[in-house]
Formats: sequence, C-alpha cells, structure tokens
Amino acid sequence: MTKISEMPAVARHFISNLDLTVTSHPSWTQPVPANERRVSIVSTAAVSRRGDKPFSWLAKDSRTFHKTDRDLVMTHVAVEFDRSAWQQDLNTIIPLDRLEEMAADSEIDSVAEEHYSFMGAADPVTMEKSARAVAANMKREGVNTVFLIPI
Amino acid sequence: MCGLAHFFESEGLSTVLVGFVREHLEAMRPPRSLFLDFPMGRGMGKPNNPRFQKKVIRAAFELLDTNGGPVIDDFPEIIPVRAGRMGYALPPELVLSVDDVGNLDVVLAEVRSEMEALRPDYDVAVAARGRTTVGASGLAVEELAPFVAGFLGGEIPQSPRKGMAAIPLLKLVVEDLEAYYTETRTHRDRIDDLELMGEWFWEESKVGRLLLLLEAVSVASDNKVMLQIVEMSLMAPRFWSEGPLPGTSAAGW
Repeated sequence: MTKISEMPAVARHFISNLDLTVTSHPSWTQPVPANERRVSIVSTAAVSRRGDKPFSWLAKDSRTFHKTDRDLVMTHVAVEFDRSAWQQDLNTIIPLDRLEEMAADSEIDSVAEEHYSFMGAADPVTMEKSARAVAANMKREGVNTVFLIPI
Repeated sequence: MCGLAHFFESEGLSTVLVGFVREHLEAMRPPRSLFLDFPMGRGMGKPNNPRFQKKVIRAAFELLDTNGGPVIDDFPEIIPVRAGRMGYALPPELVLSVDDVGNLDVVLAEVRSEMEALRPDYDVAVAARGRTTVGASGLAVEELAPFVAGFLGGEIPQSPRKGMAAIPLLKLVVEDLEAYYTETRTHRDRIDDLELMGEWFWEESKVGRLLLLLEAVSVASDNKVMLQIVEMSLMAPRFWSEGPLPGTSAAGW
C-alpha cells in the first residue's frame, strides 16, 4: 500500500500538509436496495463537454454531462495523475458504459441522465453551494445513489 | 471528494466513493469508501478492461449494503506504483537551462516535423476510439507548439483564445500536446504503461524538450505566474520527484 510517509519528497510534503476538512457531524442517508438504485456519477477530474467553459484552477463550480456524452475534455490543473488511461477509455474514470451494463443486467435500477464534474484541486468547502445545486438536480430526476470518483 | 460525500448525504442522497490515499479516507470518514491501491488517474483500474472495471464498481456498491458506517474497505487487487509515486515523474537531474534554447526556429521545426509524422497514427487512433481528449485548449493541433514557442523569448504572448489569458491557456496547450502524443502511441503500439509513456514524451520526444525549455525560461522569468506554475509543478510532472526543481523556492508546496 502506498503510504504518505513513503511517497517521494515533493508529493509527501504536499499531501501531508493538506488541510483536511473533517466534519464533526457526518451525515448519513440509508441506501435503497440495489434494484432501486438510480446512479449518478460525480467526478473530480475537471472534465467537461468539448466547448464548455474550462475549469479555472481553483474552480468552485461544476459541469454537467449527459450519460451519452463521450466527447469530453479535461481541464484539471494538477499534473500528478496519469492521463493516459482515460485517453484510452473514458470508463477508466467515468464508467458510464459499465453502469449501463449493470442496469441492463438489473444489478442497479438505472443510470441517471445527468452526471457531474468538479475541479479536484479546489477546496471542497468552497464547492458546497455548487454541490447542493447538483444534489437538487439529482433529486429532480430521481437519483438516490451517488458514485464519487476522484482522479 | 470526501467533503462532497458529506454534502450529498446531507441532501438525502446515499454516496459511495473510491479513493487512492487511505490515510485521507481514515481522517475524513466519508460514509462509504473503497480504498484503491492504484496509480492516480485510474479509478476503475484498467482501460479497456470491462471485467476489471466492473469488479471495482461492484466492490464499491457492496458498501451500500452495509448497515451503519463510516465504512472503509480495501479493494483486494493492487496495480503497482513505482517507488511510492502514483504517477510519472521527471528524473530530477533532467533540467534544462535558458542557454539550451539555441535556435528557436530549429527547435520548432523539429517539433512540427515530429508531430506531422505522428498525425496518420493519431487519426487512426481517434477513428478507432471514436473520440479524442485533445482539444481542451480550443487550439488546432498545428497551433499548439508555436504557441508554446512564443513563450521562449521570455515574453508572454497574446492569447489567441477569447476570454482566456495566455498562461491558463498555456497549461491547456501542454495538456493537448501530451494527449496528442500519448493517444497516438497507446493505440498504435498497444501500450498501457504510464511510466513508459511519460519517459517517451518528456525525456525522448522533441516536444518534451520544447516543454523543458519552457520550464527553464519560466524559472528564469520575472513573471511571478510563470514561476509559480513551475514551482507548483503545474506543467512538467515533478510532483512525484525527490525534492523540488533546482532554482525554485518550492514555496508553492
């Protein structure tokens, strides 16, 4: 297992000094049974539809893409993660095809029409307003389960 | 990501997340999380491997069946990383200086020639995948290298993109160049090896040399933003290296 203490110097210093916001009152929502799950993906890969406004370096806002969108570009500011995997296969970071297959096999109920992306380099505290707006959209289309995938 | 989980849960939505740094999951205690011992950028593990990807999703979704929490589980399979680093990093000793720039016309001509040679294979890759990730900058492929070269004289060129300043655009241009090269090689040579792709692009290609020259010019620049993007490793991949780039203060870290 990769541990912070064993990371090379630059990354170790950066990651160990991140200001982690730990909530003192964690929220909890009881999940619905698997066959009732309508799933929306939230990615922090800063992906968006080609032509959408690029994310700024510390963006608080989000972008929305449809479950059939495949023409996505990435405007993430950080260089520390591998890009070559998502270049080969979008499902490596946003597994829309896999979720559709699972819905077809009744492992879940359905895949949401809309999915969301944030800038993972930004402080999540600053994203609260956007996240609550995203949550309202999700509830409008009957989503009950959120699959959060970092980059 | 953990913070977002708390927001969504408080809105009545159940969440499950995957994460690469277990110590952060333990500290932030999202309701349900699956630790992945994978390189960053590979949340579902392996490209073009639906079976593996679905194993990750199923392992994550099983956490939605547990009563109570927070719960952290470990995905049982590991995708090894090199020496504790979770992505490619430039060798610390590979640093150019402004004296290496030489004749910029020659440098640019070599990059153009290299990119033109890759073009047929890039087009094949795009056709096969039905998509490309090149295009974040909004510039055409043939505009990318000249835009970078425009910085090597030490001045900030005019941004050709309306509504975006030159330096944020530069960041996206670098992304597009890397995507153009690695999309081509990963498809043409059937390679899925992030270390090999990083070595080829940054250490062996003409365009990699152009970008390292840009880094050298940035370090020597009076422009604070240019220096900042080097110090914070926002352009060249030095995040996973042992120590900051020589000549920088590392204040960004």
